[in-house]
Amino acid sequence: MKHYILLLYAVLILLFCPACIREEIADNTPVNNFETLWRIIDTQYCFHDYKTREGCLPWSEVYTKYRPRVHDGMTSAQLFEVLCDMLAELRDGHVNLYSAADAGRYWSWREDYPSNFNDSLHRVYLGTDYRIAAGIHYKILDDNIGYIYYGSFSSGVGEGNLDEVMQYLRLCRGLIVDVRNNSGGTLTYAERLAQRFTNEKRLAGYITHKNGTGHNDFSPAEAEYIEPSKGIRWQKKAVVLTNRSCYSATNTFVRNMKVCPSVTIMGDRTGGGSGLPFSSELPNGWAVRFSACPMYDSDMKHIEFGIEPNIFVHLNQEDAARNKDTMIETAREFLNQ
Amino acid sequence: MPLSLPVPVTGRLRIIRANLLRTAVCLTTVWQLISGMPCRAQESSSLPENRATTHATLFGTGRTSLYETYLSPVTYTGPHLSFLHETLRKTHWLEGRITVQSIFDGFFCYTSNRAGNSDEMGGKFNYSIGWHYNWNVAGCLRLMAGGEIHAGLGAIYNNRNSNNPVQAKADADLCASLMAVYPFHIRRVPFTVRYQASLPLTGVMFSPQYGQSYYEMSLGNYDHNVCFTHPGNAPSMRHLLTLDFPVAGFTFRTGYLCDIRQSRVNGLRSHIWNHSFMIGYVKHFNFIKRKESRHRPFVL
Repeated sequence: MKHYILLLYAVLILLFCPACIREEIADNTPVNNFETLWRIIDTQYCFHDYKTREGCLPWSEVYTKYRPRVHDGMTSAQLFEVLCDMLAELRDGHVNLYSAADAGRYWSWREDYPSNFNDSLHRVYLGTDYRIAAGIHYKILDDNIGYIYYGSFSSGVGEGNLDEVMQYLRLCRGLIVDVRNNSGGTLTYAERLAQRFTNEKRLAGYITHKNGTGHNDFSPAEAEYIEPSKGIRWQKKAVVLTNRSCYSATNTFVRNMKVCPSVTIMGDRTGGGSGLPFSSELPNGWAVRFSACPMYDSDMKHIEFGIEPNIFVHLNQEDAARNKDTMIETAREFLNQ
Repeated sequence: MPLSLPVPVTGRLRIIRANLLRTAVCLTTVWQLISGMPCRAQESSSLPENRATTHATLFGTGRTSLYETYLSPVTYTGPHLSFLHETLRKTHWLEGRITVQSIFDGFFCYTSNRAGNSDEMGGKFNYSIGWHYNWNVAGCLRLMAGGEIHAGLGAIYNNRNSNNPVQAKADADLCASLMAVYPFHIRRVPFTVRYQASLPLTGVMFSPQYGQSYYEMSLGNYDHNVCFTHPGNAPSMRHLLTLDFPVAGFTFRTGYLCDIRQSRVNGLRSHIWNHSFMIGYVKHFNFIKRKESRHRPFVL
């Protein structure tokens, strides 16, 4: 009997002797790098159908267009140029290709539009006596309007910082939250700040992710809410200043602020960037970044190409000549009404 | 100790038994010829009377191959450090033929891609407890077969990814395990060679969905993140080959550990292949003080 049992175990182990799971990408050649990049985007990028509806070239046609430009005799620089051109067809600021020599990018979402931000003017308003709480610069303007400038959500801010900021600005008549030129960062900080402007749980939008390699393989959309902060919350009117450089996490911040009743979005349309970016790489070691998880607004509409403000305002050159920032001045007028 | 009378058997059974005996004798002879090493008859052909326990602690180094498509489609390779602590204990079950084995092991690796411009760090702890039935076959050769319960927890970190920098590893499974132990002597010095293979048969493991971010999981969004595993979608195996030898009154152990963990779930492919050279020490314990010699090739 014992022999049968031992034999059974031996057969079992031999039978299920592990089949190797190993990488499927090919050697490091220009053609293989092209094929790998095209396949990564084909199977993992999340906006294919939406971008096609918005006028982008379908991804299968992108292959047809760019594949003839790649051959194994080309240099790394030539290959990099072709691959960047191919990725630019997606019109997505979250799509990048990184080599040791350069970073391929698509920045037309802000470069093709007025910046609506003047650093010199901004310095005039902030002066030298502004306060700094982690990533936030803030002060009280002459007309008793609070002013917060958050230049990057990559700079962290804690609940304690926000409590101190709100405490300092509590007697102000209104509050300007300036996120112009904030091109994103960590979503947690964006949410943490938005939670100071709602007294109840609000539906802010939806998020989903790919659950397969097909262009339409998505999970059911899950609702995203903003919860009221347990710290000090802003109860008066507030204005969020935006421009085309508000991207990624800042785009999500503006989406969240837009559902808060006392908040008005003012300025230019945001840059967009609603796909949570993932990273991958090519056989030659170049890193690639791409949008992987789409986020929507509360009406389940795409915000990949930005969010419209409640009130459009642009920098006026005449105001600038008088050291006046049109957008800040308009916000002050709005809050003083 | 009274001897039991032989049980009468039929002629057919007698022939079968004689054939099996001849086969066993032949296999033993062949084995000894091949090994060229004398095998001493054990004082007791069955198991020790008291509860014997073997502790072994091994440290090792070797190479790791990491492949995790959630992080990168490219395989990362590099060195690792590992440890393994094993306890083998005889039980009273089935006339003392069941032994309990528990293994706690772990590793930490630092790997790079082929281009050498990106790194991944990985580490994992595993604990397994198994029960094996013992047979003495072919003289000193002892075979053990049984099952194990295994659980593991670890992570792989890619140093340049944005929103997918980490892949967590958590799994639990039931395994089949087969072990062969062969004690022998060279010039009256006792050695023990052992080979063990473990194969996960069924279990569960954690995995993000194909394109799901950990940010989304932190919001509480579940999407088949606990996956049922079997040899079809998680063909894994662990091989351990060791040699025990005495030095200056202590018993040392050296060996080779091949730990292959693979999965293909939620559209994500993964492997962690570890090949380690291990070395450490062995301690034998008895709950009841024994009168036998200090050196024991392999208590169980």
